[in-house]
Amino acid sequence: MEVKLREGISKLKVKHVQGIAIIPKSENSDFRLLKGNLNMIASPSKLSPSNWLELEARLPGAEKRAPPPAASPAPGAVLHLPPRLICRCIAVCAALTGGTLSEGRRHHHSVWPPPSPSFRLLGFPQSQVKILLFYLIFYGCLAGIFIGTIQVMLLTISEFEPKYQDRVAPPGLTQIPQVLKTEISFSASDSKSYEMYVSAINKFLLTYSDEQQMGNAAFEDCGDVPSSYKDRGEYKEGQGRKNVCKFKRDWLGNCSGLHDPTYGYKDGKPCLIIKLNRVMGFKPKPPQNSSLPEDFVGKFHENIIPIHCAGKKEDDVSKLGTVEYYGLGGFPGFPLQYYPYYGKILQPDYRQPLVAVQFTNLTFDTEVRIECKAYGENIHYSDKDRFQGRFDVKFDIKSS
Amino acid sequence: MGKAETYDMFEVEARRGADGELGVSVKKGRGAKKKEKLESMKKEMDVDDHTLSVEDLEIKYSTSVRKGLSGGLAAELLVRDGPNELKPPRGTPEYVKFARQLAGGLQCLMWVAAAICLIAFGIQCSQGDLTSADNLYLAIALIAVVVVTGCFGYYQEFKSTNIIASFKNLVPQQATVIRDGEKFQLNANQLVVGDLVEIKGGDRVPADVRITSAQGCKVDNSSLTGESEPQTRSPECTHESPLETRNIAFFSTMCLEGTATGIVINTGDRTIIGRIASLASGVENEKTPIAIEIEHFVDIIAGLAIFFGATFFVVAMVIGYPFLRAMVFFMAIVVAYVPEGLLATVTVCLSLTAKRLARKNCVVKNLEAVETLGSTSVICSDKTGTLTQNRMTVAHLWFDNQIHTADTTEDQSGQSFDQSSETWRALSKIISLCNRALFKGGQDAVPVPKRIVIGDASETALLKFAELTVGNVQDYRERFPKTCEIPFNSTNKFQLSVHALEAELGAGAGSRHVLVMKGAPERILERCASILIKGQELPLDAQWQEAFHTAYVQLGGLGERVLGFCHLYLDERQFPPGFAFDAEEPNFPTSGLCFAGLVSMIDPPRATVPDAVAKCRTAGIRVIMVTGDHPITAKAIARGVGIISEGSETVEDIAARLRMPIDQVDKRAARACVVNGGQLKDMEGEELVETLKMHPEMVFARTSPQQKLIIVESCQKLGAIVAVTGDGVNDSPALKKADIGVAMGIAGSDAAKNAADMILLDDNFASIVTGVEQGRLIFDNLKKSIAYTLTKNIPELAPYLIYITASVPLPLGCITILFIELCTDIFPSVSLAYEAAESDIMHLKPRNPRRDRLVNEPLAAYSYFQIGVIQSFAGFADYFTAMAQEGWWPLLCLGLRPHWENHHLQDLQDSYGQEWTFGQRLYQQYVCYTCFFISIEMCQIADVLIRKTRRLSVFQQGFFRNRVLVIAIVFQVCLGNFLCYCPGMPNIFNFMPIRFQWWLVPMPYGLLIFVYDEIRKLGVRRHPGSWWDKELYY
Repeated sequence: MEVKLREGISKLKVKHVQGIAIIPKSENSDFRLLKGNLNMIASPSKLSPSNWLELEARLPGAEKRAPPPAASPAPGAVLHLPPRLICRCIAVCAALTGGTLSEGRRHHHSVWPPPSPSFRLLGFPQSQVKILLFYLIFYGCLAGIFIGTIQVMLLTISEFEPKYQDRVAPPGLTQIPQVLKTEISFSASDSKSYEMYVSAINKFLLTYSDEQQMGNAAFEDCGDVPSSYKDRGEYKEGQGRKNVCKFKRDWLGNCSGLHDPTYGYKDGKPCLIIKLNRVMGFKPKPPQNSSLPEDFVGKFHENIIPIHCAGKKEDDVSKLGTVEYYGLGGFPGFPLQYYPYYGKILQPDYRQPLVAVQFTNLTFDTEVRIECKAYGENIHYSDKDRFQGRFDVKFDIKSS
Repeated sequence: MGKAETYDMFEVEARRGADGELGVSVKKGRGAKKKEKLESMKKEMDVDDHTLSVEDLEIKYSTSVRKGLSGGLAAELLVRDGPNELKPPRGTPEYVKFARQLAGGLQCLMWVAAAICLIAFGIQCSQGDLTSADNLYLAIALIAVVVVTGCFGYYQEFKSTNIIASFKNLVPQQATVIRDGEKFQLNANQLVVGDLVEIKGGDRVPADVRITSAQGCKVDNSSLTGESEPQTRSPECTHESPLETRNIAFFSTMCLEGTATGIVINTGDRTIIGRIASLASGVENEKTPIAIEIEHFVDIIAGLAIFFGATFFVVAMVIGYPFLRAMVFFMAIVVAYVPEGLLATVTVCLSLTAKRLARKNCVVKNLEAVETLGSTSVICSDKTGTLTQNRMTVAHLWFDNQIHTADTTEDQSGQSFDQSSETWRALSKIISLCNRALFKGGQDAVPVPKRIVIGDASETALLKFAELTVGNVQDYRERFPKTCEIPFNSTNKFQLSVHALEAELGAGAGSRHVLVMKGAPERILERCASILIKGQELPLDAQWQEAFHTAYVQLGGLGERVLGFCHLYLDERQFPPGFAFDAEEPNFPTSGLCFAGLVSMIDPPRATVPDAVAKCRTAGIRVIMVTGDHPITAKAIARGVGIISEGSETVEDIAARLRMPIDQVDKRAARACVVNGGQLKDMEGEELVETLKMHPEMVFARTSPQQKLIIVESCQKLGAIVAVTGDGVNDSPALKKADIGVAMGIAGSDAAKNAADMILLDDNFASIVTGVEQGRLIFDNLKKSIAYTLTKNIPELAPYLIYITASVPLPLGCITILFIELCTDIFPSVSLAYEAAESDIMHLKPRNPRRDRLVNEPLAAYSYFQIGVIQSFAGFADYFTAMAQEGWWPLLCLGLRPHWENHHLQDLQDSYGQEWTFGQRLYQQYVCYTCFFISIEMCQIADVLIRKTRRLSVFQQGFFRNRVLVIAIVFQVCLGNFLCYCPGMPNIFNFMPIRFQWWLVPMPYGLLIFVYDEIRKLGVRRHPGSWWDKELYY
């Protein structure tokens, strides 16, 4: 087969070549194999219909010439060209079955040799628009798949109940006010120095005022002695909102702020409000008697999670003085009837039980480290997380 | 002392004119400006010692031709000139070698990254943020990686250097010296100028020696000139040039036979060989192609890193981060772009290939050279010892008016010729008897071709030939005892011996003696009156003479050395047994003999070479022969091994065929071209380049070391990546200049081995083909490894970008990234080095170093912006899953970061109203890290599978064919499991035991990667040349 190129056409595709292709150099032009592999074609075993060659010929003057007549030849046609510009592509075949020849892209600005492709992300090439479009579609599809995946994933989780509670339980024990480096430092005589603590407690206890717990059917009086858990059914929307137990602010006694709006700070007898972090469905179990500190004898009730504050180290113990506990029924702990928690949707007005502690005889002008612990069978402590089931706080009260 | 030395800038070039005579030209250094440093190396002493009379020499060197130097003077001179040894090429100090390992392209990138990390850490510290030492860890990890891989690479090179060093001959050379009139043995390095030395056959010439007396002394100058023919040394000055004259023997050449006495005129580095060796050390080493590729790649990485960093710096500023914080972000992004694991991957891949090559007897001195052979487009090969066996062997015989081909293979596996003719019996007798060469004793177990023979090259060849074809020559000779002998000399040009015949074996009735003779064919023919054809003695008429000449010319045209053989049965009556033959004044006929045949010898090509050359050709590599030998021999060997292919003609061939003058022949029509040193000398640089372009098949003969250098440079000017093979000292400058120098391990001189990058332990040119194949394979596979390694950069970077812009809790931590980069993904990326070639790589052209880059735009774009992005999405899907299932819904996560990271907030509420302490959140964050890690791992498994091929479908390539890769995947999964579930991990490396479901989340994305890549490959295969192919085929 002999192929003649038309004037101005510098690329040539030989498709579906079978057999052996020999491309001799012609006098006036030069061939360059753009794609495909001659040897691939030379060994018929590797042939498949998709094998093909693309050749580029250097035709003298081809760049300068006006574009050739547009009539495109039918595939397989032999193209004629003035002999001067003949490029020969002879495919010597055992059989050139189905060999077709089509005209390649025209090269209007053909430069020889073609510019070496540089890293084209920075300097935009011609096919920029195509690439842009490609990536638009590509990322569009990806984003679709991603959103789809997220949607499927959201189907697996319930609005009312977390799927797993691997990290959040056992709960943390936190104190109000939460301060930087858990260091409470103030001077009793200087109201400015403890203002931030007072306002933090104020802010927190606001929702515990009687007015905030009235007028809504959801509030339920759970009595003023600790009692056992109050199961309120499944974690589903079915029965609508669930009731919550009231927690009266005045149970906090001297630390309720009702009598002393500075929560004892002005006397150097600071209060801390302690709460157990909310964890859905979590039923804290009261501890076995044996594991409790001695102070608890007499104060213990089987339906509370006791709280106990003590000096962190030996020398802190002597500086600590007495500690007053205020809670439901005067018990230093969280009564069980407030548990379990049903989540923010089912119990939007949930009031978690509080315990207030007041340090009435702290040594002034020195740092006192106090650790408060909640005791319970399923309340654990961790070395890494210092707020799990306990917390420590440092007092530094200045006398002047 | 009276030694005149002028250190002018002169260049001496050994050159042979067209007439084959040696000529030397001393001319003002050509191109002196360009290579001033080099030229000064080539400084030529005004050696006139060869023209001086012996008396003048005695005066000049204060010595005596009888007594030698006085001991005292010798000691003085030794102090002045130093020992007589070649200064070892200034070996790179070990610490420099090590430092070089730390200063590659990738290494520099990592140093910069480490510096940035430290700066960022400094900034954070100064801001009082002491909580996160990630930047410090990162810096330490980066530095550790550089140092560890540096140590590894250094160790690799150290090992191969050791292999090479073990070849060094450590036995000190001895020399026989006469001092104070006493003869004694001395270590050759103690010699000084003026010493009187004795040389005998088998010795190595201990210094440049002016011969004062000689008996049949022949030296082998092949290590200097590449010429395998022995050359006579005698006291007469035969040429004004020191290189050409016969009365100077050169340092380190071999004395083959005879004895000689002479005065040492140059020692150590001032000898000719010393000067060539120092020429080599003046040549700069070329940068390896892989180093260039890696630099190019580092440019891309650095560009992208800064682009990304700057973009997000601006974004961070716009969002409202403080400047310093944005700066830290910028640095972190730049650093995150550094593929920490890549350096290790590349080093390990290269050393794996180096190991594989070493198993095939190619030792690589420099790891990067492993790939160079793969990119090679031109091999300039020395002839002697590389392409040929470096031993004369009988190649053809002419008897019975027919040319017979002898077996020249090393292992005698070739075809033998018909040995039934009577003429052959006669000829074989002459060959066996008229031969002074002897096997050294005690070699019965050694195969004949490998036995050591005492005698010159031609006689050795004939002896071995006879031993192989006839049988025990020693016995044969004993049966026909020699009664008289006239040895070969240059005036007679023949060798003759008379042997007694055993009665019953006498072929000619009534003979008791046979006279056998061999020598230059035309001289032999002159002395013959008859010719033996098929056992019949026929008169030697014009017709037979014509036949003889045709055969002679034909054999000579093959570049072979031809000898004629004849014999004569002496009449018993005239020469009865016990007749006293007189060798001095022959009392027996020396003419009117019976011509038996011609034997031609050549240093034959190694058996494996033609095949190897053919393979190089199919691989698109041009093999050029560059030799110091004669053009005719060179051309014959070139034809023999296929460097000049069948049917290719040189200009001279065309001229001869068309019977027209050479200058009228169209040079373009000649595919082949033989250029000798003389022509080369007259060529301008451009002309040589033109010649190289015009003729695809080139042979350079009679080239000097400098010219070899020029040829290599010209090829490099053409854009070729040049490999040079050689063994001699004369090759060493070219070996050094080449992109990859390949030295012969057995035959190679130390100078050559020092200059080379690769050493063929078995001296087998065919090993080069293996090298090419492995080099190409590793280039392809490195591409895959790099693509694999780069991909995960995006999923490692994206979390940080999202963290900055969307303020989500950090999905992926720094230590986790380091684990991906340096732990889990190293093995799979290295396992890609074991991947088999996708196509027949030995049928492809060498890559174009300017077009076919290691890391090109499609590779980076495809890895970063497509696969990498899919992986990122997989990671985020898993991240959001883990968060949502633990209580943090996706929308809540957005903007959560300030609260999330607040150390003092111990009751942060999640989507269900649950309260989280900081510690709980931190562990949750670690869970996210682990999920993201697992996602990347899962996707990387898909990634490593798709990277197996760039074009073929993975199904075509075979899933499990690369066992190492399968093991690597298993290893990766196991390691992932270990990291997740090993107790203690959370607090050491921030890995948390995650729920099984979270392993499954990224799997659809892995599948997506696999399917997408199969589609890509399908498109690439189906539509080559299309837009798809151009943008997506890397």
